[in-house]
Amino acid sequence: MTRKMLRYPIIAAAVVALLLVATDTQQVYAHKEKHTADQLEAFHEAFMEQVKAGDNLFHGDPDTQKRLGVKLSNTGMACAMCHPYTSDTHPHEFPKYQEQMQKFATLRDMINWCIEKPNEGEKIDPDGEAMKALETYIYWSNRNSKLDPGRH
Amino acid sequence: MSERERLQREMDRVSRPSGERPDNSLVMTRRTFLHKSVVYGASAAACGLFPSISTIDMAFAQGGPSFKFAWLSDTHLYPKEVNKRFVEKTVRAVKEIQAMNPPADFLIFGGDLAQLGDPVELRLGADLLKEVTIKKVFIPGEHDWYLDMGATWNKMFGASPWTFDHKGVRFIGLDTVSRAEDFWTSRKFTAKERMGHMATLDGTLGGAWAAVGADGLKYLNSTLASWPKDKPVVVVTHNPLYEYYPPWNFWVRDWLPVQEILRPFANVTNIHGHTHQPLYNEIGKMRSIGMLATSWPWPYAPEGVPVLTKPMIRADPGDHFDGVGWSSLAMTSGTRVDYEYKMWRKEVFAQADEDSGTGDNRNQVLTPRIADRI
Repeated sequence: MTRKMLRYPIIAAAVVALLLVATDTQQVYAHKEKHTADQLEAFHEAFMEQVKAGDNLFHGDPDTQKRLGVKLSNTGMACAMCHPYTSDTHPHEFPKYQEQMQKFATLRDMINWCIEKPNEGEKIDPDGEAMKALETYIYWSNRNSKLDPGRH
Repeated sequence: MSERERLQREMDRVSRPSGERPDNSLVMTRRTFLHKSVVYGASAAACGLFPSISTIDMAFAQGGPSFKFAWLSDTHLYPKEVNKRFVEKTVRAVKEIQAMNPPADFLIFGGDLAQLGDPVELRLGADLLKEVTIKKVFIPGEHDWYLDMGATWNKMFGASPWTFDHKGVRFIGLDTVSRAEDFWTSRKFTAKERMGHMATLDGTLGGAWAAVGADGLKYLNSTLASWPKDKPVVVVTHNPLYEYYPPWNFWVRDWLPVQEILRPFANVTNIHGHTHQPLYNEIGKMRSIGMLATSWPWPYAPEGVPVLTKPMIRADPGDHFDGVGWSSLAMTSGTRVDYEYKMWRKEVFAQADEDSGTGDNRNQVLTPRIADRI
């Protein structure tokens, strides 16, 4: 490598350093310190809050739907009426090619398909709070299942 | 040995008459299979051994006349402006039952006419059932009961239990839904809240609500006291009279005394609703057959599916007429009852594990819900 070529990485590093200083960007660390028991409990509580919200949505609770601004069904049907204990939701088998959608699908795609088709509800934001809660409840209910993506 | 396996062994020990041995017939071959399955814990996947038939042979007393009867249950009607699909399917079933040729001698309605016990729902059901002009008999489901503790149901459809004899067969209808422990008073639940919890299959507050009850057992014992032991008995219930899956009340909690009362009788058939799926089991000399719902199919439970059950093909959730229907039973020559699921699709039973509701779940491990307790 010639001296001229060596100059470019040095210049690039200097520019990045200047930008960091100029914008006062702070790096965010995870796992820098060992977790305390209180932290772990807080994490678990945050998780179980999502499980509970997801369970409520899955069982058609009107208050939770109102709070999260979603309408999951217009037929009186709730997810749990076909999927008690989340039976046959098979989150451990996603992603996979889903015949009724004729596309390669994630669990979130499948949740929205069920809301729109059998339940005749209104499709929800795939990254929204309601979707996260539904996904959390379904995964929690199936947490001891064997991961087997792509299986039918 | 798991708790479930221990209970199943106990059920077999109590129910099987001493000294009974299998013979060479198909029925007895099934019994042999049941016996082995109980002893060795054979898996439900082994049901592929059974022929792909939609009728089930049941040995009845010889020489009686032939007749047909129909079964309809689990329509789960909401008010029609809330859900038109359930109304459409009930209308279709009712028209098909009325069009049976030769006609059925009577219709048994096996419970869960309504979804939330609302008098509007029950009246809608009664109006739709007017289309059927043959004799109708009714037993309640939990969805019909817990809004007003059966007051409207009993007024409109008559109280249970009941007994009638028809062409040499004793038919007994039992109420298996009204005996939930009181979880609502201390929590100050409204009637609607109580009904909501009872209408949730995987809810926890209702507990083990399904039971024949002390009064029901007394009735069963007395109504059979004068009936000859070799003559056929058909017991119709909303819940199955054996232990399939207690967390969803796919059982009655007092199955043991029920079996003790029925054990001396040579030909007993239990026909039940609630499970929304093809099911078949034999407990001692009692055969048990699960009926379809018109509303929606339940998945098979995560465990406890009787090994004698040939599972239904998995339903298409995009087609609300799939996996559901009504049922026709025909007693032929007084010796057999042919049973047919009138499922609104061409195929009823799965031919391969991956197409069934049981065999495709081998990697699924489910956790009971807790949110209604936290």
